Amino acid sequence: MRLFAGQSAWLVQRLSALVVLFVLLLGVGHLLLGRGGYDAWHALATSAHGAVLIVVGFAALAVHAFIGARDVVLDYVHAPGLRIALLALLGTLLLGVLTRVVLTLAAAGTASPLGGA
Amino acid sequence: MRETARPAPRFLRLWNIRFPIGAIASIGHRLSGVLLLFVLPPLALALERSLHGPAAYAGLLAELRSPWLAPWLFIAAWALAQHVLAGIRHLLMDVGIGWRLRQARASAWMVLVAALLAAAMTLGWLA
Repeated sequence: MRLFAGQSAWLVQRLSALVVLFVLLLGVGHLLLGRGGYDAWHALATSAHGAVLIVVGFAALAVHAFIGARDVVLDYVHAPGLRIALLALLGTLLLGVLTRVVLTLAAAGTASPLGGA
Repeated sequence: MRETARPAPRFLRLWNIRFPIGAIASIGHRLSGVLLLFVLPPLALALERSLHGPAAYAGLLAELRSPWLAPWLFIAAWALAQHVLAGIRHLLMDVGIGWRLRQARASAWMVLVAALLAAAMTLGWLA
């Protein structure tokens, strides 16, 4: 299946939007209602459910951003070479962000400053 | 040729071009989406700093409250609020809610105003 083309892209764009919205609302809820401070935030981000939510949120965000920015590029950029270059740059940026987030959470989970591995 | 046809405009008169509110909401969704792309790398770096120990966390918070960052934060918060609210508006229209012209115009206005308010409130909340 071509995930990023045609009708499936339209659907994936909306489903990923709902996932991002869900994680975003949880995040805003934590900011407004949760305990503040580093310890609470670190505990949340390194807990299994917290880390999974953050990674799932960023993964959905990467998919959503790729389809959205791809639409913008295809609308305004018509030279094939420049199109490919911009899409490659976009994909690299989004994969880079997602990788960085996963590595960050993995490092925070294993190397706790309160003593751990 | 119809006698009532208006003559073709001879110049591109930008001040005579009217953007309906729906078009502004639509272009706002696109513009805010592109802006949010540029927010992603700093967001990933901020996430990294926020989990890098209490000192790094406190340093990040202090930096977020510094006045030189306020305009950028306002733009980022506006882009996020605009994109999310206009996105919810689109999703509701997809399932058949509020697509009639009157409602669509009203919700487009509401999204534009609410996004600016949300951005201002975010800065106020941070300060």
